[in-house]
Amino acid sequence: MMYNKKKKGMIDLLQVEHVTKRYDNILAVDDLSFTVNDGSIFGLLGENGAGKTTTFRMINNLLKMDEGKILLDGKPITYKETDKIGFLTEERSLLTKLTVKEQVIFYGILKGMDEKTILEKLDYWLERFQITEYKNRKIKELSKGNQQKVQFITAIINDPKLLILDEPFTGLDPINVELFMNVIKEFKEKKSSIIFSSHRMEHVELFCEELVILVKGKCVLQGKLKDIKKDYRKKNIHICGTIDIDKIKNLQGVLDINQTPEETIIKIASDDYIDEVFEIIKKGQNITKFSVEDPTLNEIFLNKVGEAYETKI
Amino acid sequence: MKQKFKFLIKQSLNKKIKTKWFKLANIFLCIALICLINIDKIITFFGGDFESEKTIIVVDELNIYDTFEKLFNETNNLETKNYKLEKANEPLETLKEKLKDDNLLIVDIAVDQSSFIKASLISYNTIDTTTKNLITNVLSNIKTSFVATNAQIDNDTLNALLSPVNLNTITTNQESEENENKETIQTIVAIILILPCFFLITMLVQMIGAEVNDEKSTRSMEIIIANVSPKIHFTSKIISATAFVIIQALLLVGYSFIGLVVRTSLAGSQNITPQLNNIIQLLNQSDVVARLINALPILLILFVASFVSYAILSGVLASMTTSTEDFQQLQTPLMIVLVLGYYLAIMAQTFDGALFIKIMSYIPMLSFLVSPTLYIFEQISIIELAISATIATAFTFIIFKYGLRIYKVGILNYQSSKLWQKMLKSLKNKE
Repeated sequence: MMYNKKKKGMIDLLQVEHVTKRYDNILAVDDLSFTVNDGSIFGLLGENGAGKTTTFRMINNLLKMDEGKILLDGKPITYKETDKIGFLTEERSLLTKLTVKEQVIFYGILKGMDEKTILEKLDYWLERFQITEYKNRKIKELSKGNQQKVQFITAIINDPKLLILDEPFTGLDPINVELFMNVIKEFKEKKSSIIFSSHRMEHVELFCEELVILVKGKCVLQGKLKDIKKDYRKKNIHICGTIDIDKIKNLQGVLDINQTPEETIIKIASDDYIDEVFEIIKKGQNITKFSVEDPTLNEIFLNKVGEAYETKI
Repeated sequence: MKQKFKFLIKQSLNKKIKTKWFKLANIFLCIALICLINIDKIITFFGGDFESEKTIIVVDELNIYDTFEKLFNETNNLETKNYKLEKANEPLETLKEKLKDDNLLIVDIAVDQSSFIKASLISYNTIDTTTKNLITNVLSNIKTSFVATNAQIDNDTLNALLSPVNLNTITTNQESEENENKETIQTIVAIILILPCFFLITMLVQMIGAEVNDEKSTRSMEIIIANVSPKIHFTSKIISATAFVIIQALLLVGYSFIGLVVRTSLAGSQNITPQLNNIIQLLNQSDVVARLINALPILLILFVASFVSYAILSGVLASMTTSTEDFQQLQTPLMIVLVLGYYLAIMAQTFDGALFIKIMSYIPMLSFLVSPTLYIFEQISIIELAISATIATAFTFIIFKYGLRIYKVGILNYQSSKLWQKMLKSLKNKE
């Protein structure tokens, strides 16, 4: 499997090289390789049980891999290195009997920080996430969304060089998703690297630069998002107006036609078929839109996962 | 890492101590212990029937009232019962009308042709057995005296006849004679020593189990173990739990001391129940305390090693479970071992020199209850006590080594299928 090689002398922040992990007879991660550069946002995608959480656990030194190696700043990950990592687990990992302040101090000190610095940063982040009034409240008294904010603060309190976000937007309303995204982008600007997984492809598409799609622990697609989209041959043609659907259906290379009240979307096998479609559209009436667009990441994901199952990887 | 380790211990200890429940429980324990040590004073303070004076009116047809009074006062040695004797100066029927409560009794003594004396005890309610026996004894003695007088036995012979037989106890073993009260003292000390240990271990098992379970079930374990090794985490849990138990034990000693100070400062306690004061006095005189002081370092090692063993095992069991309910079930065998140790310690007092109990005193996790008891009862020497402590310490190191292997796997395992298989497999993992 290909992974990015940097210029001589430059080391990628995170290097995952030919990593394999088995649970008894189950292959959870199969020869996975990828690199994450400084200040980039990397997406690790896959359906449930694809091996994302196992990969995150190995990066966090929680699980030992059977084969391969994982390097952070060019060094194997030890407890000294994990201080540079911020980790937001998919499920809530908060001690609900503690107050927000106690919880953040607890995780902050485990990241090697001193209490004074933690408290200064805590005040900033509480204000930023608009939950200052909950500082001394027990976590169990907070709403799901606010608990997620606290969990997010615990992950970023140490200004991590590598931020691992496993389903970070769970339980958040659109306003708070926006807030989280802005903070993630800020970390990117500060040259932190972010790996994140999400089932919401629109989120991944919005700010992921590179990604890996896993199916049953195996990498089925990898690379820069724009390259993936570019290389992906299938296209979508968006049309507004009255057209002869039957004629288009009979064209070679037309895979599917989806009609909505606003527009008609024609899926074609490659851009080689655009001209033929255009010839028919020209003869239609009241045509106000003809746009050839790349498929969404969701489509690519579904397609790749489907293909992987068809080839029985 | 050292800083993180210290923080984990502090955090875990604070979680147990800096809670309102700990404070409330200790306020209750303090009050309970002070009350227990001063229970006689509290009972006396509230009063009750034991304080009221019983008036016994004697209807005397035989003209023996003086003898009855003399013998009654000689026979009555009950400290908790007050009696006042009166000779009847009204007819029996009039007296019967005065019976309104338990504080008035009538003894009607009359002549009987066949057995010299017949008597009736008349009361408002059923009479307690003690008073009944007392009056019966007095009347039996009077009867003997009456018969002796009729048989023209002189006073000296009569006195000799009526005087109780003095059972003089002689033991050939001088030491045994000197330590007449030793057994009582030993029993008391053994109970004082083993009961709190039993109570503290129960607390320890529950606390460490609940804490590990809480961290695991909330998944915060993943964040913790991502930053500190399982060994550091496990050790911090054991140290904090053992420290908690030691703090609680010291607090209990402190509360007992306060109770004794309260007892000493309250005047007149000697007059109410001298038993407790006698025990304290005997304790000071006996060599039990001196023996315990001699063996104190060994006892401390034995207790700490055993506490740590229980902490390790409860931590390991908790790491294997994912809910408090599962842990409650899994800890049952551990509690049974504890109860077994407690009963063996109690039985050691009855089965003097029992070989089985002596063997059990070397078994780790039982030894901290059995060995000190046997030592107090002089059934084992200080050397044997030291051997128990050594075995317990070695056992602690071994279970820490192997327990940690299970703990490492258990804390991050959320599946219950093939659980025991996984745990047994983890024992082979030397990493």
